[in-house]
Amino acid sequence: MSRDSAPGFHSRESMQRLKAEALPSRSENLAPPDEITRRDALRVLMGASSALALGLTGCERKPRRQIISRATGPEWQRPGEAVYYSSTWTDGDFPYGLMLKTVDGRPIKIEGNPDHPVNREGSTVGMQASVLSLYDPDRLRAPHDEMGAVSWEAVDLRVVEGLRRASSVVLMTRANLGPTERALIGQFLAVCPGARHFVHETVHDGTRRSAWNMVYGVAGEALPRFERAGVIVSLDSDFLGSDGAVLENIRSFAKGRRLADAGHRHAETNRLYVVESAMTVTGSNADHRIRLRPSGMGLVVRALLRAVDGHSEDLAALGRVHGIDDTLLKALVQDLRANTGKSLVVAGPHLPGAVHAGVALLNDRLDAPGNTLDWNPVPAKMPVDDPEEVETAIDRGVDAAIFLDVNPVYDWPGKDFANLLKKIHLSVGHGLHRDETVAACSLALPSSHNLESWNDAEPRSGIRTICQPTIAPLFESRQSIESLFLWTQALTKEGSPIRECEDWHDYLRIRWGGQVVGAESYSEQREQRQRWEDVLRRGGSFEEKKAVPLPKLKRGAAESLSRVELSADGYEVTIQPHHAVYDGRFANNGWLQELPDPVSKLVWDNAASVSPQTAQSLEVSEGDMIAIEVGDGSVELPVLVQPGMADGVIATSLGFGRTAGGQILQQAGEGNAAALLGRQDPATPRLATDARVTKTGRSRKLVRTQKQFSMQGRPIVLTGTLEEYRKDAGFVSHKRHMPELVSMYQPYDYSKGHKWAIAIDLGVCVGCSACVIACQAENNIPIVGREQCAVGREMHWMRIDRYHDGDSENPTVHQQPMLCQQCDNAPCESVCPVNATTHSPEGLNEMVYNRCVGTRYCSNNCPYKVRRFNFLRYQKTQLRDPLQELAFNPQVTVREMGVMEKCTFCVQRITAGKFRAKNEGRALKDSEIQTACQQACPAQAIVFGDLNDPQSRIAKLYASKRAFFVLEEYNVRPNVAYLARVRNPNPSSAENVSGGHHG
Amino acid sequence: MTANSTALAPASLFVGDVTLKGLEDDIYRPLESFPTTRWWLAISFTGALASIFALCAGITVTQGIGTWGNNNPVGWGWAIVNFVFWVGIGHAGTLISAILFLFRQRWRTGIARFAEAMTVFAVICAMQFPLFHTGRPWLAMFWLIPYPNDQGIYQNFRSPLEWDVFAVSTYGLVSLMFWYTGLIPDLATARDRAKHQFRKFVYGVLSLGWKGSNRAWSHYEKAYLLFAGLSTPLVLSVHSIVSFDFAVSVIPGWHTTIFPPYFVAGAIFSGFAMVATLIIILRKMFHLQHLITDNHLELMNKIIIATSLMVGYAYAMEFFMAWYSGVAYERYVFLNRALGPYAWAYWTMAICNVLAPQLLWFKKIRRTALLMYPVVLLVNVGMWFERFVIVVTSLHRDFLPSSWDYYKPTLVDIGLFVGSIGIFLTLMLLFCRFLPTIAATELKVVLAESRSEGGHRE
Repeated sequence: MSRDSAPGFHSRESMQRLKAEALPSRSENLAPPDEITRRDALRVLMGASSALALGLTGCERKPRRQIISRATGPEWQRPGEAVYYSSTWTDGDFPYGLMLKTVDGRPIKIEGNPDHPVNREGSTVGMQASVLSLYDPDRLRAPHDEMGAVSWEAVDLRVVEGLRRASSVVLMTRANLGPTERALIGQFLAVCPGARHFVHETVHDGTRRSAWNMVYGVAGEALPRFERAGVIVSLDSDFLGSDGAVLENIRSFAKGRRLADAGHRHAETNRLYVVESAMTVTGSNADHRIRLRPSGMGLVVRALLRAVDGHSEDLAALGRVHGIDDTLLKALVQDLRANTGKSLVVAGPHLPGAVHAGVALLNDRLDAPGNTLDWNPVPAKMPVDDPEEVETAIDRGVDAAIFLDVNPVYDWPGKDFANLLKKIHLSVGHGLHRDETVAACSLALPSSHNLESWNDAEPRSGIRTICQPTIAPLFESRQSIESLFLWTQALTKEGSPIRECEDWHDYLRIRWGGQVVGAESYSEQREQRQRWEDVLRRGGSFEEKKAVPLPKLKRGAAESLSRVELSADGYEVTIQPHHAVYDGRFANNGWLQELPDPVSKLVWDNAASVSPQTAQSLEVSEGDMIAIEVGDGSVELPVLVQPGMADGVIATSLGFGRTAGGQILQQAGEGNAAALLGRQDPATPRLATDARVTKTGRSRKLVRTQKQFSMQGRPIVLTGTLEEYRKDAGFVSHKRHMPELVSMYQPYDYSKGHKWAIAIDLGVCVGCSACVIACQAENNIPIVGREQCAVGREMHWMRIDRYHDGDSENPTVHQQPMLCQQCDNAPCESVCPVNATTHSPEGLNEMVYNRCVGTRYCSNNCPYKVRRFNFLRYQKTQLRDPLQELAFNPQVTVREMGVMEKCTFCVQRITAGKFRAKNEGRALKDSEIQTACQQACPAQAIVFGDLNDPQSRIAKLYASKRAFFVLEEYNVRPNVAYLARVRNPNPSSAENVSGGHHG
Repeated sequence: MTANSTALAPASLFVGDVTLKGLEDDIYRPLESFPTTRWWLAISFTGALASIFALCAGITVTQGIGTWGNNNPVGWGWAIVNFVFWVGIGHAGTLISAILFLFRQRWRTGIARFAEAMTVFAVICAMQFPLFHTGRPWLAMFWLIPYPNDQGIYQNFRSPLEWDVFAVSTYGLVSLMFWYTGLIPDLATARDRAKHQFRKFVYGVLSLGWKGSNRAWSHYEKAYLLFAGLSTPLVLSVHSIVSFDFAVSVIPGWHTTIFPPYFVAGAIFSGFAMVATLIIILRKMFHLQHLITDNHLELMNKIIIATSLMVGYAYAMEFFMAWYSGVAYERYVFLNRALGPYAWAYWTMAICNVLAPQLLWFKKIRRTALLMYPVVLLVNVGMWFERFVIVVTSLHRDFLPSSWDYYKPTLVDIGLFVGSIGIFLTLMLLFCRFLPTIAATELKVVLAESRSEGGHRE
């Protein structure tokens, strides 16, 4: 008797029949097609009113997009479970690796790809906030022409027809293009003979690259290796904030600053000298900081060059002209000479070529090439084209222009681009939003978001990463490069390889080594498939290549270039990318607009930063509007008084004054600094040395989330010098008075289970604020808008406190990430009348939102003021579209009006980690649970863990002699330990005495 | 008896020839005549103010505390200032009724009823603020009260706010009962004098069938004495506990052991000032100068100047302790009060509460209603500012300078305060119209005693 026919078993056929009866197939229409249902009959009866009939059909509407129920979802998917994908950030200034957390098919959180050799786990604020842009309701949702919405087919027909007929075509793209994109553009140019490709970007290092090109003789970029440098000199280069691969820079700089108590007598850290015009993140981390106008940078390089060779007379001259303390410069020169082979000089990309040539000579003299400097022959960003060339091309007559994710109408460093656009017969604007350019084009095409796109990137030669979508396009959008692919395909002759590709993804995949199916044997195909899947899984191929040595320096060229003088006869203006909204492309992202500037703590606004003395000589105070004129460009900006700025210098950011493309950017500040780009000298577009400044008499209230920058002599951030540390690793104990601590409460017993704690190394934290956005994304923290920030109601659970110390014109800066300290003797817990904030057995101070009635007593009684109150319905005002709810982390409650909230140490991650370990029947591993802030930190300054595990990283950090607690003398017993910052000023400089804080 | 007791002797509590009939007529006239146009005008004005409160409370509940000026360091603003202010006002009544009663201060009879009414109304005003200042009042009104529930969460008895709930509600209830007990014989008189059936019925119900029998009087006197005994510790405890809201916290400027006595003294100070402010108007409006005499005013002014010196001492001692403690945070808070961005508030407080009352050293000013009136008005203002200084200046700059900020009230904040004054005055006007504003029965006893050349009732 066969098994099939055995009683109690169904045969295969009968089983299938039963299944078919029980389960509707996915494509089945649930309404029986042939029968007239009761509803149909009713519809016929009421047929007279068509409106009513429409209403009735509404009853049977099914979601347009695929939905997945628990019963019929893909078998591998479990509702609510997080699935991670690797990808690449192609939206920003550098193609960092991404690791995306998706839940139920929607990306909700972005981390750095831990396998990516450039950024590791670290992420930037822009990466973190990218998930919010994906669900931006203001995105362009369908292709439009002059008349209204059109189909993609119609668009493609019109564009291809237009391109066929065009004798002259302009294709404009961003600089950050992957190798496959570059290849496709090459093919496009080949099939479209009249086409020219222009790279447009306002934030670029073109000046520096062309200088390198001249002095090294080849194209490429120098790669600083901060981790190998003992002495670092930065000339206006904000390498920890905006210059270069910042995440890598922060990581390698932090490597050179890390200290371990063992062997503290011989501890070494790098020493950072910063000569800068504006106060930057890098300057905030300097051991010695010199204020200097950008026009003086060339003099400094030349003086240093001569002084390293023993002729120090120029240094004294510098002191006379620019008021720099020459003892400090002499100490710097000594340091450089003593650290030959271990020192590194970098210069900001906005500085003129002469400085870069001088820096190349200096680095060469200091033996940096091969030691602290490597070479990257193919930079991730393409060189930017001269705007004038584009203008001339358009002036000569262009039939069609394609703008792929660029916004020249907003930020063109030249003529009024909207006027130029009018001369073009067919203009195609491809963008995420209907921004200024897309709105001005004849075709407005919606681009897919980074997280909906296929792409690749080559951040360094040898490292290739892949960008894969984690969600199907939310709207009728298409990747801009896919559009170009389809148009290229249509223009290509029958039979060429590109015609064989099904779509852009196929094209990309083939370039990654896959072949068209059927070409190879089965085993080869399988191998290919596996290779491809591996690439997708890891996010790219990361074989470590040997470092490329720096090309030989052409001394003659360098010397002659370095002697070019820069005239300076007015106010000097530097234009930098904004730390959050970058060049304006992220202007419609609320998280980024509301992220306090790491230096000024300004939100939602652009400002003209000036030194207190300059403000005085201009007779302006904070918020007064000034008009800055450079050549024929001018902009009006409110003044921000920033200590540490060089006198006579105005620093401003790009990215503001956007007029189209969303509702968020309407709240942001006006004043588009792009109007000043290249107005003095197109070769140094982001620098002007002859600006004229006038008071306008108007004013605008600037909103800063921190108003007091003085520590008031309080022992809040404890710092010491390397010398102090070498003498006594426990120097912090002398920095403050500690009374005997007594408590009236019985101490908690944490001996069983876990005891969670965080340690933050202030020595390596640079203050980049990635943790702030990571926290916001992880914990569903709403934005509150400019007006609410102005009354002091921002909701960030984590903030970076910034304190100025010493010289009021050039202060020493201390930064301190501040979050809920999860005190053991929490003052908030004892005062809540309804027990809404309680203590967990694992040492967490827990907030029970449902129980909270909002007395705000806990917040008043919090010595750290880290609690945040929902004064209004912030979540509701932020949600203009149900679409935005998709960005929420489903594991974190969305808080309502009238409820207090605060940092939870990412309790949802702790719980998830504990469950995972329990399900797998094992103990939790150290570092298995990471808080969102920790994961985002490029410097790895934040460590979370279990103090009950004596082997854990956190237990070791707590044992560090540098560890201290803020307000420890109040005996609240915080569970966030700070490791005192150890600065490394030059012992032979006079400034040394004023460094550090003596409490 | 001390030398001063002549001033307190019953004879000096009346001016001119006061007869028992005339006294009763004077006291009951407002109840028995049709309201004057002035009264109608006054109550329309105060009623309009009270409706501002309703409007602003509605805005607050529906839109959130964000409609106020509160921000991140300053979690408590005008609402808590107003709460403490009104609770303070509410102190005079019970003090006059209970403590002065126990100390046999006969002069109190003239103003006791009025002061008690003021207490009850002030506590009603005060209780609005802690409720509306919570983020979710619809839950707070239940969850702060320990009623049997199935949530398995109880109140946190370590929290001073929870203590407040009991302290203020107990005080409110006891004050109400005390006031009402005192009213019973007078309501019976109103009933007996009433000509209209309806009035007779209403006052009959309110007087709980008072017959004036010996037994009733004996029970009444005992109950009154008991209430006086019960209220006396409450006068001291309620503001002590309100001060714990601040003293028990860790915030520099709040965490001070001097707070309980300082708050009680301040409360009596403000309470007497408010009694004086209102009673001067009352006696003018209803022509009661012969019952509420300049002697009364002078005695109240003496208490005002005594308590003014006490709060002045507390202000000075706070500075001394801040310096003496050696705690930098503490020192900063007090320097910041006197010299920081809220210095204007601090000096307003100091001038109104310490300097202005010094004028009362002059007998002429003490005894002249017109001259003392500005002083007591200033004390009312100063005491509001005292609470503002305590609540706001301590919070706006605490431990970490990074979170320091400035607090500014909004229109809703102002509306709620002005509205609460409206509620208070409206209740006061209704009280003047419908209830005897002076304890007639008690005063009659005193009058009888004064006729028989002194001697004590008991």
